[in-house]
Amino acid sequence: MGKVKIKKSSTVIDMTAMSDVTVLLLTFFMLTSTFLQKEPVQVITPPATSENKVPDEKLVQVLVAPDGKVYMNLTGAKDSTQLSTETFRTEVLQFAYDKYCETHPGMPKLTASQAKEFSKIGTFGVPMKDLTKWLDMTLEKRDEFLKEKGGIPIELSVKDGTTRNEFQTWLLAVKHVMGGHGEDLGRHLIGGQGVAIKAGQDAPFSHVQMVMDNLQTEKLNKFVLMTSLKAEEEK
Amino acid sequence: MAKKDKSRQKKFDTRIDFTPMVDMNMLLITFFMLCTTMLKSQTLDLALPTNDKVDKEEETKIQESNAITFILDATVDKTGQKASNSKLYYYTGQGNEEGAALTDITFGNGKDQIRGFLQERNKDLLKEVNKLKERWKKGEIADTTYNNEVKKAQARQAQDLTAKRPIVIIKPTANACYADVVRMLDEMQISKVSTFMLQPLNKQDSTLYEQKVGHALGAK
Repeated sequence: MGKVKIKKSSTVIDMTAMSDVTVLLLTFFMLTSTFLQKEPVQVITPPATSENKVPDEKLVQVLVAPDGKVYMNLTGAKDSTQLSTETFRTEVLQFAYDKYCETHPGMPKLTASQAKEFSKIGTFGVPMKDLTKWLDMTLEKRDEFLKEKGGIPIELSVKDGTTRNEFQTWLLAVKHVMGGHGEDLGRHLIGGQGVAIKAGQDAPFSHVQMVMDNLQTEKLNKFVLMTSLKAEEEK
Repeated sequence: MAKKDKSRQKKFDTRIDFTPMVDMNMLLITFFMLCTTMLKSQTLDLALPTNDKVDKEEETKIQESNAITFILDATVDKTGQKASNSKLYYYTGQGNEEGAALTDITFGNGKDQIRGFLQERNKDLLKEVNKLKERWKKGEIADTTYNNEVKKAQARQAQDLTAKRPIVIIKPTANACYADVVRMLDEMQISKVSTFMLQPLNKQDSTLYEQKVGHALGAK
């Protein structure tokens, strides 16, 4: 009787191919995706068929939270010799803060470290009186504050632009800084590709209207609304 | 002796176990999938008139009888954060004529819905655009040429005072849903309406609204 030979097969699988695939996938993800922006609130933008992409540089993004609070996010030019994001943010902060201090004496001085801190922050939006305090906070505290007591004051007092609210002061600062860094940038802003409004689809229109009114008062009549792509209808 | 030693030299396995490498890669992939986004947001361009004194030209434009005014409305819930139950009305002309009243209309592609309604009124331009589209489909003209030609055709139509074209005025109430406003603006793009504007409601609109809905604007 012949012995039944049990074939002993190796349980080791060659992982090289698997590794190849994962590295490829990893490369793909790293190259095609962009990091999610940290925002105090998540909003779902309304669907539209428009295919225009949101500009990824030289942009002021205005985020309208569902409760009507307004936040801003500044992005400089990709070509950092023109206007880097850091310079953009620092200069805007400096200008806006100085402007605010003109009408509100007794405000604490803005320190260099606070300005530096500000240049690293993506989405901001606290009342000016809390700004220096906010910049001194730790990261977690800052996020919490932004969510609970944040929001740039936006109520319009006069429509002719003689007295500015804080949101308008920021806009003025943006206009000043962009205009000061070359005519191209100024034109870019006025031309409508420099301001984007991001609001949730369920938001009542009055919130967005408020932002639009403010932009209009600052003579930024052209801007873009951020939307998400809806299934393509025939062109 | 020496010969025997040589033959016994240990042979190293040159294979490396890749399992830890795969583990690590998988972790990295998971990280990238969770922390990044592939989608870039789209945008819709919008231009508002200046706040400066409205010039005469603008006013005469609105006087035209082929103006269509859409009023967007919705109900906002108690928290004041969510608008739902949206409504859409329209009236043609200036709204101060005898018997002017709001008519219901809905979003959609149908003949009686907003798409059909606008496209019926913008037939002439759409015919032109369709011709261009045919050529674009055949590959005769490039994407950019197509877009430019459409823009030119729109500009031509806007200049031509005798052209039959809709002039759309979009008036969202404070309660209107933002998504509806965007959708309305999107419809303008789709139907290639050359002149449209976003305006707040005036007194006359409020009166018409009250007649239609039965309560004043903003009241429950």
